[in-house]
Amino acid sequence: MSLRTNEDRLVTQILTGEVWPPQADRHGYRVDPDGHPFILPGMGGVTMGAHVGEAATGHASDHLEPGLSIRHAGAEANAALQFLSCVGNIVTVRSGPATGAEGVVIGQHAYVLADFADGALRQVTTGDAVSVEARGQGLRLLDHPEIRVKNLDPRLLPHLPFSTAADGTLEVGVAMRVPAEAAGAGGGMLSEFANTDLMGAYPGLSEDLSLGLESLRIGDIVVLEDQDHSYGRGYRPGWITIGVISTGECRLFGHGPGPSTLLSGPASAFTVLDDPAANLATALTAMGRATTTSTPTTATETTV
Amino acid sequence: MSSIIANNLLGFVEHAGLTPMVSYRIDRDGHPYVPVGDGGVVLGVHLGDSVFATDTDHAAPGVTLVHPDPGSRFGLTSFACVGNRATVRSGAATGATGSVVGKRGEAGRVIVSFDDETMAALLPGDRIAVHAMGQGYERADLPEEIVLLNIDPALLDALPVTVDAGVATVDVVGVLPSKVAGNGIGRPAHQWDVDLAVTPDSPELDGIDMRLGDLFAVEHLDVRHNMGFRRDWITVGIIVHGGSPMPGHGPGFLPIACGPRRVLQPRATPGESAAERPALTSERLAAVAPWPTA
Repeated sequence: MSLRTNEDRLVTQILTGEVWPPQADRHGYRVDPDGHPFILPGMGGVTMGAHVGEAATGHASDHLEPGLSIRHAGAEANAALQFLSCVGNIVTVRSGPATGAEGVVIGQHAYVLADFADGALRQVTTGDAVSVEARGQGLRLLDHPEIRVKNLDPRLLPHLPFSTAADGTLEVGVAMRVPAEAAGAGGGMLSEFANTDLMGAYPGLSEDLSLGLESLRIGDIVVLEDQDHSYGRGYRPGWITIGVISTGECRLFGHGPGPSTLLSGPASAFTVLDDPAANLATALTAMGRATTTSTPTTATETTV
Repeated sequence: MSSIIANNLLGFVEHAGLTPMVSYRIDRDGHPYVPVGDGGVVLGVHLGDSVFATDTDHAAPGVTLVHPDPGSRFGLTSFACVGNRATVRSGAATGATGSVVGKRGEAGRVIVSFDDETMAALLPGDRIAVHAMGQGYERADLPEEIVLLNIDPALLDALPVTVDAGVATVDVVGVLPSKVAGNGIGRPAHQWDVDLAVTPDSPELDGIDMRLGDLFAVEHLDVRHNMGFRRDWITVGIIVHGGSPMPGHGPGFLPIACGPRRVLQPRATPGESAAERPALTSERLAAVAPWPTA
């Protein structure tokens, strides 16, 4: 059953920002969970080679942000950009040789993250201007009043694995079930800003760090168990959150691939089904907005 | 084993701060509230009080210290340790001494407890010297894999830690699972506490009356290189501030020791008497040798 929403009451705001340079400091190194130093790219700027539908981990990267990482130089304008941009919003490059290229918002990470095809990304550099057609905050599912919706462009909604189940709950297909123990950095922050880093996804490190999340893909729709992101982000027994993985590989401890929040509410309002194909790539393909031509990889079966 | 050094640091008593023209924060149920007691000079909050005794946000048993220079503020927060003595250097309370009882994260705050008379005389902006010592400390009788942090060596000696057959046992009021650890995960434990997302009716507390200063343990938490999940590692810490209505926030847990469970084992006990409660108390702080100031 298709979902009834208040989409006709939402408006679009045109926001701008620029591709923000990756940041480093004079100390250079950060340390991994075992105390080993690293200097790796991934956060900020223009990042190629990792797109929606592809593996989130397995890259020599820290805080991998696919595509463009966007901020506004003004603090208040940046807050509007970060809080109002929604997954599925169209992003257009407005300066430089890639002017006119279009991509799509895939989440937030203290930057708005926009994935583009590599052909367009190769033409973009830091400082290039972009615009975002921001629409989605305030979206409600009229038949599911207990569920808070956020960061979700209503045009994306029909293409996501969300529907009303026969018992009236919201049925959601997820590629991965994330235990509460995995919720890392980002807890306690606003759920319209940045995302929740997931721990337990450090390929190649010791088994005692693993929570079975190494096979996450960028764009995976996941359920966060015992997490309430209705008005912020935090542990709350009996509540669940549905998110989309918007960032990838991390080496910094307590950090990891992160879901941007889409839905949150009491677990009793949902029916969660396992669906290895539950990935933003499927929706983007249906909308003609795919950022990669490769077939989404299938999530590796994990043993419980 | 290296010897440790001491630093004299300077902190300024914080003034309470709110976001300009925003009086409300939003609680976990979506209701607005005015945050009271979140830093600065907060009177009427003491070690031993329940973390849920007042309708406040992150209220701590003392004043919070900051520094106007961000780097100096991180330095102050990094090197101050629980149990360190602090001396008031300006204002009406000049000369009074107190003790560091905790720290808080993000931009960094040091929590210093004084007696009620001194607390009433302190003003935001007063200068306080912190006699910092403890980071890098190793105690010879403890198993090598246990890392100590944020604790004055003399105070550690006054806490209920026993070592037998290569295993350290620490008495704590309660043991909590890592899934309650919220804001502070992924951050450096030498500069941050981690908020425990618990409320008075949390099943994880199972009726335990959590109080300011209590020793608690968190299972599957490794805090050596940022705080994060690691199976069968135990972190012992001190409850340094009270609860919060915000999602992902709650009583603050400041780590003081971390190690694998096979060598670091918490023993949950409320203590046979109030004096034996495994907690940071004013009596234990008083037992720490005062800094030679004369």
